[in-house]
Amino acid sequence: MTTPSQLTVAGKTAPAGEDGPGGQPAGLSPRQLMWRRFKRDRTGVISACVVLFFFAVAVLAPVISSLYGKDPYTTYGLDRPELLDPLTGYPMKPNGGIDGEFWFGIEPKLGRDVLTQLVYGIRTSLLIGLAATLLSTLTGIVIGVVAGYLGGRTDYFLGRLIDLLLSFPQQLFFVAFMPVVTALFVSPQKETPTYFRVTALVTVLWLLGWMQLARLLRGQVLSLREREFVEAAKVTGASPWRIVRKELLPNLGTPILVQSTLMLPNFVTTEAALSFLGVGVVEPTPDWGRMFAKGANFYEGDITYMFFPGIAMVIFVVAFNLLGDSVRDAMDPKTTR
Amino acid sequence: MTLNSRRRARSYAVALAAGALALSACSSGGGSAPKESKEPEMKAQGITLGSAADSTGPAKELPGAKKGGTVSVLQRDAFEHLDPGQIYVSDELIMQTLYNRTLTNYRIDDKTGKVKLVGDLATDTGKSSDGGRTWTYTLKDGLKFEDGTPITSKDVRHAVERLYAPFETSGPTYLQQWLSGEGQKYRKALPDGPYKGKHLPKTVLDTPDEKTVVFHFDQPRAEVPFAVAMPNIGAVPPGKDTKEKYDKAPLASGPYKIKNFKPGKGIQFVKNDQWDPKTDPIRHQYVNTFDVSFGHQWVDSTRRLVADKGADKNGMTWTNAVDPSQISAVLKNKDAMARSMTETQPYVDVVSINTDRVKNKKVREAIAWAFPSGQYLQQFGGPKGGEIAGGLVGPTLKGYNPDFDPFQKKKYPGGNAKKAKELLKEAGEEGYELVYAYGNGDTHQDASVVVQQALERAGFTVQKKEIDQTTYYTQIGKVDNKYDLYRSSWSADWPSASTVVPPVYGGKNVYNDSANYSHLNVPAVNKEIDRVARVGDLNRATSEWMKLGEKVLTDEIPAVPTFYNRLFTLWGSGINGTKWNPIYGAVDPTAVFIK
Repeated sequence: MTTPSQLTVAGKTAPAGEDGPGGQPAGLSPRQLMWRRFKRDRTGVISACVVLFFFAVAVLAPVISSLYGKDPYTTYGLDRPELLDPLTGYPMKPNGGIDGEFWFGIEPKLGRDVLTQLVYGIRTSLLIGLAATLLSTLTGIVIGVVAGYLGGRTDYFLGRLIDLLLSFPQQLFFVAFMPVVTALFVSPQKETPTYFRVTALVTVLWLLGWMQLARLLRGQVLSLREREFVEAAKVTGASPWRIVRKELLPNLGTPILVQSTLMLPNFVTTEAALSFLGVGVVEPTPDWGRMFAKGANFYEGDITYMFFPGIAMVIFVVAFNLLGDSVRDAMDPKTTR
Repeated sequence: MTLNSRRRARSYAVALAAGALALSACSSGGGSAPKESKEPEMKAQGITLGSAADSTGPAKELPGAKKGGTVSVLQRDAFEHLDPGQIYVSDELIMQTLYNRTLTNYRIDDKTGKVKLVGDLATDTGKSSDGGRTWTYTLKDGLKFEDGTPITSKDVRHAVERLYAPFETSGPTYLQQWLSGEGQKYRKALPDGPYKGKHLPKTVLDTPDEKTVVFHFDQPRAEVPFAVAMPNIGAVPPGKDTKEKYDKAPLASGPYKIKNFKPGKGIQFVKNDQWDPKTDPIRHQYVNTFDVSFGHQWVDSTRRLVADKGADKNGMTWTNAVDPSQISAVLKNKDAMARSMTETQPYVDVVSINTDRVKNKKVREAIAWAFPSGQYLQQFGGPKGGEIAGGLVGPTLKGYNPDFDPFQKKKYPGGNAKKAKELLKEAGEEGYELVYAYGNGDTHQDASVVVQQALERAGFTVQKKEIDQTTYYTQIGKVDNKYDLYRSSWSADWPSASTVVPPVYGGKNVYNDSANYSHLNVPAVNKEIDRVARVGDLNRATSEWMKLGEKVLTDEIPAVPTFYNRLFTLWGSGINGTKWNPIYGAVDPTAVFIK
């Protein structure tokens, strides 16, 4: 209200600033510079491709399944006794039953197709991981910036809340929490629906996953808000909302992006761990983490089964972490690792 | 024994075929190629009662047996009870053979594995009179507790009477019920146990002198010699009975006594120097110490015993099986196979149908036809984990008919969906909704996939409910539970179907935590149970029980029999003298020594 004149001043100065270097190739925006740096980083580009590939596989799971002609639910090995050894439950053929029909072999004991199990499992895990990452990132930003910018009592209470949640043992909490919530919402005579399990998983991962980012951002904001350009904005009478949006957030892009790319593989492995404990996604919904856990059980008799989900998981986590590093390097080349 | 949840089955009664199993000599001999490895063959034999001569000690020495050393025992589940009056689960039953002696007991031949019932504390298996209504036992000379006090008939009487006390809840109840009334009614005869100076009347339980115990029943009881072999019919000194606390520190009468019981962690058994081998026809005292530790998952115990390194050389397990995922690796390992055995246990795994909810017999029949027992068993370890079951009564019992398979489970390992579909159509119940409850563990989750698939193929709608493993038996034990199908396993307490049909399918046993998980309460069955219970002749009674067991399945379909359990297990290379205890379905420690 008080600042129409100031706004016009700002409006005038801004285009004036752009006019100065206008036309010169050196005048790239920070984003363009970042993209250029990123493209030069070969590791980063390869990791990005791998990550994209995983997402493509997840999205295209039904297509892959129909082209390949198998689904992840049919127990081929049990329906066709020649596929599984009746004595041990392991595939008859060597290397986990890999052949022209079952490219990645078949699962011991239940005899399902490993390739489609893996593809659908990646889909389940990535979906959960992605949803939890998005929610946690948003929450982390909001709470971190609010705590840092407002300071004082708000900061204190939010800080203690973060402490409290950080001290929560995530997996134990989930093990205790799941049956209670299930009893609350699901009739004892009905199967717990898969969407319900997924929602519960995402909720818990989210509730206990945003704190690191929030704490990090709070620190950044604490130092940023004392800087001259924020002071200047304040003096010119900018609203807190505007300061946060226009002055602070653009400077927080790097930690947010880096943190969230590190968060995703973390969530995927946590989800896998929960499935391993039997409180995550249950049969028959394919799940990456559960495959991995099963592989650990079977490795003495059928190492091949562990090979595919295990290697896929390693590649995914490494690629995502390298991508996170590359993104950070590209956005903030001055930081040293 | 494939199941985590098995441990909570208070109902695991146990038991077996005295003399009942002749196991083929090379049940799992070393060198055989994996695919050819033989499974035990079973022949149900007559029940043999040993003579007084069989009942006198000492037990025959094993050739080459040495004294000394420590055997480490790897067990998955912690022992909850040490009080012999409270013991009723398989791993505790085998454990108590080390320190607890009972009136009679089972003597297992070291070579043939044949089992004979002999006198343990008593001089023989009992003398009956009055047409089987009165049974007299005479105690041996030279019996002592670990503190040196002699064991007298008063101690036996006290052991029986304390079972009437309210805190004795988990042991078997046969003898008490026969003496003082069915169900829980017997407790009224002595509501506080013997602790307030009251005793059972002499017309029920009499101790005319220091050495003699007499039981009086109101009807002929042919199976008393077996009932007094249960762990709770032994001796407890009245002066040393600490009631509930006795569960942590009972007084030993056998060759070993308890040292260092750490609940949830482990227990040690050390030599009891007051035990006189001359009184004991069954047990040896070769090893100095049995060091039992809990919490070893099957994967863990299998790996350690296969690796056979360090202290594990002298390691064994009483009830841990080779983990199903490692069966193939062990089969290929000749060295490990030479230290293994595969034996049939007295347990029968069934999936109970809640007859309170699934009232339509046609629907129950359809479930029985559709159930994929073969594929289901595959999840529990295949032929090394069990054998597809045709009937509800186990193969280790006398009179077992291997051809009895009314729902053709052996022919259709994946279930007969076609037949089931027809039955459902006949009943007009297509798409019938079933709630299938299972303990939430890896194996059970896999099995649920198979079950759901087969039942849905047959036209059912299946709702799977997973239950926390630790509370599984409590949940399905509630009479008003909201599930239709759930598994449990039960074994006869002695080689007669009289310890299967009445407790599991008798209408009097429909109450919370009862073994009658189907809640079957049918007048025709109840009447038959009462009738057969009065049959005085042991051999005729056993075959009548077996027939009744078959009739219950074909007429009422209270449960789908899935498989008869097997135990495939290993021990360390330093150990010798292991034998199979078919009564408790476990590896017998009483003759074990270190090479």
